[in-house]
Amino acid sequence: MTKVFTDGLSFALPLLIMAVGAIYSEKSGVTNLAIEGFQGFGAFIGALAAILVMPYFAKSSQVPIYIAMIFAAVGGGVYACLHALLCINFKANQVISGVVVNILAVALTTFFTSAANTALTGTASNKFILGVSNRYSIPLLSDIPVIGGLFKKMYPFEWIIIGLVVVFWYLMYKTRYGMRLRACGENPQALDAAGGDVVKTRWIAVIISGALSGIGGICFAYSIMANFSPSIYMGYGYLAIAAMIFGNWNIPATVVVCLVFGLAKAGGQQMCIAMKLPGNYTDLFNMLPYVLTMLLLIFFSKRNHPPQASGQPWDQSRR
Amino acid sequence: MDEYIVEMRHITKRFPGIIANDDVSIGIRQGEVFALLGENGAGKSTLMSMLFGMYRPDLGEIYVRGEKVDFHSANDATAKNIGMVHQHFKLVDNYTIAENIVLGVEPMTRKLGFLPAVNMKEANREIEKLSKEYGLEVNPRNLIEDVPVSVRQRVEILKMLYRQAEIMIFDEPTAVLTPSEIEFLLKIIDSLRKAGKTIILITHKIEEIKQIADRCAILCRGKLVDVLDVNSASAQEMANMMVGREVDLVTHKSEPHIGKEVLNVQGLTVLDENKFPVVKDVSFCVRAGEIFAIAGVSGNGQTQIADAVCGLEEAAQGSITLNGQDITHTSIRKRAERGISYIPEDRQSTGTVMDFQLSENLALRRYGREPYSKKGILNFTKIRENAEELIDRYDIRCAQGPKTIMRSMSGGNQQKAIIGREIEEHSDLIIFVQPTRGLDIGAIEKIHNQILAERDRGAAILLISLELSEVMELADTIGVIFSGEMLKIAPASELTRNEVGRYMMGVKEA
Repeated sequence: MTKVFTDGLSFALPLLIMAVGAIYSEKSGVTNLAIEGFQGFGAFIGALAAILVMPYFAKSSQVPIYIAMIFAAVGGGVYACLHALLCINFKANQVISGVVVNILAVALTTFFTSAANTALTGTASNKFILGVSNRYSIPLLSDIPVIGGLFKKMYPFEWIIIGLVVVFWYLMYKTRYGMRLRACGENPQALDAAGGDVVKTRWIAVIISGALSGIGGICFAYSIMANFSPSIYMGYGYLAIAAMIFGNWNIPATVVVCLVFGLAKAGGQQMCIAMKLPGNYTDLFNMLPYVLTMLLLIFFSKRNHPPQASGQPWDQSRR
Repeated sequence: MDEYIVEMRHITKRFPGIIANDDVSIGIRQGEVFALLGENGAGKSTLMSMLFGMYRPDLGEIYVRGEKVDFHSANDATAKNIGMVHQHFKLVDNYTIAENIVLGVEPMTRKLGFLPAVNMKEANREIEKLSKEYGLEVNPRNLIEDVPVSVRQRVEILKMLYRQAEIMIFDEPTAVLTPSEIEFLLKIIDSLRKAGKTIILITHKIEEIKQIADRCAILCRGKLVDVLDVNSASAQEMANMMVGREVDLVTHKSEPHIGKEVLNVQGLTVLDENKFPVVKDVSFCVRAGEIFAIAGVSGNGQTQIADAVCGLEEAAQGSITLNGQDITHTSIRKRAERGISYIPEDRQSTGTVMDFQLSENLALRRYGREPYSKKGILNFTKIRENAEELIDRYDIRCAQGPKTIMRSMSGGNQQKAIIGREIEEHSDLIIFVQPTRGLDIGAIEKIHNQILAERDRGAAILLISLELSEVMELADTIGVIFSGEMLKIAPASELTRNEVGRYMMGVKEA
């Protein structure tokens, strides 16, 4: 049971930070299917940075992880500029741009991973071996029965993510930029008439989206896979988008949805172990979050209120 | 020259294929209500958009408080204390009124002493104060999506006040309002004038100008005709100048030649989406060569009658016959083919395909027939020729001819296109719903004459209008509807305006 909570949380939080990234982009009026590509590209840059700095630190040092996170954010943010450029400046179809950005990310990172490996080690492997982050338990809270599992064996990045979500929630709902951002996704004409800069607001939002997705990606690489390889493109980016939709583009609600997804996934795995099923059934149970996605889609789609202007290129001359 | 707070000198603005403003010079005095009168597409809004920084003039200069300005955006104009209420409000639906007002100029505070945050408390307080000061009756905490259009308009006014605008431009502010709301708005404008604000009112309604404006500039096809003192000019004079020719404010109607029965509606009942009857057991008939007008206050079921006759709504009970044939359950297209033309109330969603070209819109009723298509393949040459003919015959003003995108045309010209398309079908029955809504007198006069010409050709006309004066001018027979029931049907000659007005309020036989 404890393992359901620990594993659930370590899956839910990277998902959440990506979902928050998706919310930023969509609330600004840019439909974002590119989360998958952002997280993969961000993770690639982060992993590359980690590989490059690792020789300078002790083997058990945790510093490379944090360096990787920073670079993942930068990499995701820079890569997001491509989506922003296509959607905002060239007024491309935002769905198509998102899909193209995803496909391009897979191709680019696969190619450059083997290229980098060839240059560094001489073998054309498509993996960066990263190792696993240390885990810490919180003294008192982790002793609480049942839910204490939430506080046991936590990755440090989980704390960073929780902090970031609070910061970005505040930015969206309490600050001047957040107010303009949300207006931008509902009625950009209103923001423009009020003297705001729609193009700038959307650019910043898409870059934030990329940076947060990149952090989500590197966390997956460090926690679940312990390496970076093309298998980072497992569809978690799309799952984050699904979480955003069920969360009705609202950060607190999305937190709940991500926790449900995380617990469903971890619960499924533990169930599989408890029932002593052969290992190949794990894949079946890994489907649980996605089945849940489909079920929730049926029930929630009607009540949702997506940002009104999401998906529409901003054209000043159009009234 | 110093007496003018705003001066626009020799302004010329061209758009592809059209000269929107041609050497226009006006001066506006501090503290007056200055009206810009002109037909749809005369260039009023364009002229003011340049003052507000949304466009830049191709030629000419703008002076504000004696100082030459060159606005690149609305922000520049706002900085010079100029504000504008657009025809389409620019508001965020799921924001509160206060949030909408402060958007872009948010008051800030520091939470816990260091976290920057938007100070909504301060905003609410400030807006409540402004609202009281000018009698706007607005609660800053309401969501925009929950308040009616008239309140949204007042939010736009508050937006200008909050930004300390001294010069306020209103673009057709009354087009979206009911008569009592118009009264209220004019009162607000008056109180703004008393507070020393300078007001520019774009409109095509002469009565409003007579009521509120001090001076009035008249534009016709992009050119300035004259600037008048409202007190010393007559309505007829202004109307003639605006249209550029003699206008008849009175419609001349010949005796009707009434023929056989065309449309017969018996016991019609229509239900709304909640299964509530909005039309209750209504019976009437319309004969060839007759204008049958349904008068009534908005929302009493009149549009549903029109929709039921043309097939957009289903009749829950009753029968509809056209030329003796029962069409109660016939499809919309079949009805149209049997001789119904329909000019719907909402010209933008029901009447046209806004993102299609004019030529395609003009062919919507006939593209399925030869010569416009053969074996399912469209003949674009014929479709274009058809459009050219209609553009010419119905004086549809469009920047790029048949290729013009419908959305880019003015409302009046969209309506002309729909009316042309429908009349050219030479149907036995033509249904007009609110045919002149939002149009200027020149266009109204033309449309009224077209309706009368169709009647004289021998068509049966069903006219549904919220304008009592339109009903009284055109109708041969009047039916008054109230709360879904036809309270009275009588020849127009037997009813006075006051009687019809009384029935419209639900008063039965006295």
